[in-house]
Amino acid sequence: MSKNGLKLAILCCNYTNLSDREDFLEIPVNLEIKRFPCSGKIEITDMLRALREGAKGVMVAGCLPGTCHNGRGSERAEKRVLGAQKIIEEIGLESERIKMFFVDRLDGGDFIEKAKAFYKDILNLELKEREKK
Amino acid sequence: MIIAERRPIPEILANIENYEKVLVLGCRGCVAVCSAGGDREVAIMAEAIRLARSLQGKPIEVLEATFIRQCDPEYLEPLKGFKDEVEAVVSLACGVGVNLIADLYPDVRVYPGVDTTFYGANLALGEWVEKCRGCGDCIIDKTGGLCPIARCAKNLLNGPCGGSQEGRCEVRKDMPCIWHEIVERLKARGELERLMEIWEPKDWRPAGGDGLRVRIREDLRLNGGK
Repeated sequence: MSKNGLKLAILCCNYTNLSDREDFLEIPVNLEIKRFPCSGKIEITDMLRALREGAKGVMVAGCLPGTCHNGRGSERAEKRVLGAQKIIEEIGLESERIKMFFVDRLDGGDFIEKAKAFYKDILNLELKEREKK
Repeated sequence: MIIAERRPIPEILANIENYEKVLVLGCRGCVAVCSAGGDREVAIMAEAIRLARSLQGKPIEVLEATFIRQCDPEYLEPLKGFKDEVEAVVSLACGVGVNLIADLYPDVRVYPGVDTTFYGANLALGEWVEKCRGCGDCIIDKTGGLCPIARCAKNLLNGPCGGSQEGRCEVRKDMPCIWHEIVERLKARGELERLMEIWEPKDWRPAGGDGLRVRIREDLRLNGGK
């Protein structure tokens, strides 16, 4: 599928799910996947930097609660997403541009479906923005 | 510790809107412990400023540093290495740090990146509660260690007001009535009669009513304080 110029970032735990770029080919965007040792290691700065570097949305993906290798890493990630959402709202962006997803570690389909849904949300935001202009 | 809270980012952006290179300066003292101005918060603030300015089409260079403290002149010395390099400093220290930079480096434009709020304890992750008002005339030896100045909404000195109900504060229902707790604690210790003692009027001068508060200890000063 041809790319539509939109860039999305997926920040995820190394263990969350092994789906890689080729698994997301159905989503017609420039996708940047950054893996971390644990989603609890994903900092607010990583989310903000992804936006500054051109991503229109940042999907933070971590293991389902209770399945994190490191105990509560994905719960920490969820809290940091809240912090990042507050910041981007203050600077005039929609908070939905950064979103937390808990992803089944073994089910690649689940991850891909959530990425597709996120892509649609971001696409809608972009279309609304263009209408405003 | 001193508790502080990040200021709204639009206010910080307004203060630095005319600059193209700034320093976000953290402090590893109280504000680091209360997650308002340590290394991590410096990185977040710097990235937030970069993102906001890049969205505005006015990119900015943001340097990051965190000093051990900002409330001692010697720990502010490294600022000399930055002051000619940047146009302004956004300090994430408490108001003490911002004031000391303004005093010692009058040519540096320094702006607060946090609001300094109170002296409090860290009761749980992400939760801080005021415990002391810094009034300078401590009376908690008489009240079982519980401070009615900081912890009573009306700063009462003579027992609970008529509005407290079932041990809860009238002003803040989510808070205990501290006078209720004082009475219950002293009662449990068999020391309730201590509250029958007539106190002298509280001296509010050390709370700031006598102007700027200064403390000098001659037994520590060398070279006349220079």
